[in-house]
Amino acid sequence: MTATLPPLDPLLHQPARTQLVAYLSGRGEATFSELKRVLGVTDGNLGAHLGKLVEAGYLATGEATGGARAQTVYSLTESGRAALAEYVARLSALMALSAGGEPASETSLAADGQS
Amino acid sequence: MKPHQEQFLAIQSMLAAGHRCVHLERHSLLLIGGVGGFLSVVTEWFITDTRFPNTDQRGIALLVWLAFWLGGMALVEHWMTRRARTRRAETLPFAQAQVTRAWWMLLSVGCLGSCAMFFYGGGGMIYALWTVLLGLGIYFYGLFSRPLIEWIGLAAILLGVAGLAAGLPYGATRWLNASCFAIGMPLAGWLNARFGDSGLPGRVAVLALWLAVVATPPLLIARYATTTVPSATPVYSVATVGLGEQVLRLEAGSRVPLRVDLDSPILTVAPDAGLDLTLTRPVEVALRDGRPDGRYRIGTGAWHTIHDGILQLRIDRIQPRLADGRAEVLTHASLDGAEFKGDTP
Repeated sequence: MTATLPPLDPLLHQPARTQLVAYLSGRGEATFSELKRVLGVTDGNLGAHLGKLVEAGYLATGEATGGARAQTVYSLTESGRAALAEYVARLSALMALSAGGEPASETSLAADGQS
Repeated sequence: MKPHQEQFLAIQSMLAAGHRCVHLERHSLLLIGGVGGFLSVVTEWFITDTRFPNTDQRGIALLVWLAFWLGGMALVEHWMTRRARTRRAETLPFAQAQVTRAWWMLLSVGCLGSCAMFFYGGGGMIYALWTVLLGLGIYFYGLFSRPLIEWIGLAAILLGVAGLAAGLPYGATRWLNASCFAIGMPLAGWLNARFGDSGLPGRVAVLALWLAVVATPPLLIARYATTTVPSATPVYSVATVGLGEQVLRLEAGSRVPLRVDLDSPILTVAPDAGLDLTLTRPVEVALRDGRPDGRYRIGTGAWHTIHDGILQLRIDRIQPRLADGRAEVLTHASLDGAEFKGDTP
């Protein structure tokens, strides 16, 4: 018997973007500098990932107050939070299928992860 | 490990990192440690019964003194933390703001508790209470920060409780409290910066090091601190007491009346009222210009000062009753110390 694998959100199925969204889910909001430090990525790389997530409506931007210079802060939107929850649920299902000995194909994971 | 498992663990790890986004800054630990240690050591030299003879005044003076230093420290610490966050281009997490409020609340409870002991008693455990409050504050930070901070908070709580449970004298709990603040906090900041990301075995080793460095100095001080021994030869009668340093020896069997000076809206005490007490062991009291200077020893034991908490007076029961057709109040008190149990006269 062959199980049908749940499709994974291609936008989140990229390691840096998944980690970015997961971090913001716990942290609430973070500046570009903090995200860069936590994820250990370059400015250009982080900017590209943030742009895609903002464009998809997963992240919202705002302005941090209190400092000498204004900072853009990023936070997870409701749709971003729901997408992460859905992604984790599907990943869990995939792991359960895999652990149960079902012939879970991982080719889609590898292919989707290269965006 | 399969790719989706790695992905799952990465999500878990980043979620935890997002939740544990509170930074207990090194300057915070230095400020808390420095001011707390300073207060532990200096407060009893500043708030004295000669400077503030009235107990109520002394309680209020202590409240103002603690509020000034701890309030000032809290404001400076908050300002420096915001500045550090701004420099790193980070926002202050909501959790950190809440924990800071909890920390200020703990400091306020400590200040009010210290003041309240002048009105309601319980002064013998005030330093242990401050050590536990410090531990609780650090533990709160640790819940949202690195686990090592959490562990150090628990260790400070443990030290405060263990000090009381082990029957450490008041003076020793004071030094333990000073050490937890002045040595423990800067050391925690340094260890957290160097070994904060260590695994379980590393954290256990770091915690053991922290406990050893913090607990050893106060225990050594308590063990080896000695009261200056009076050099004078003992005199045996109050009538022969004169100027300079002298030692008055009161033999076992000497009568030492207890004079009662009671402030009460419902009772008055005759000025000459007293309770006849008789010494069961000889006591030597050091005198300076004819007045006791606070040093004493029982039998041939070590010399102590009256403020080191070796000798403790506890009034544990006040019971009204009727006896011989009269109303009376029975009060049970104990005056002893672990050191004197079994001491031969």
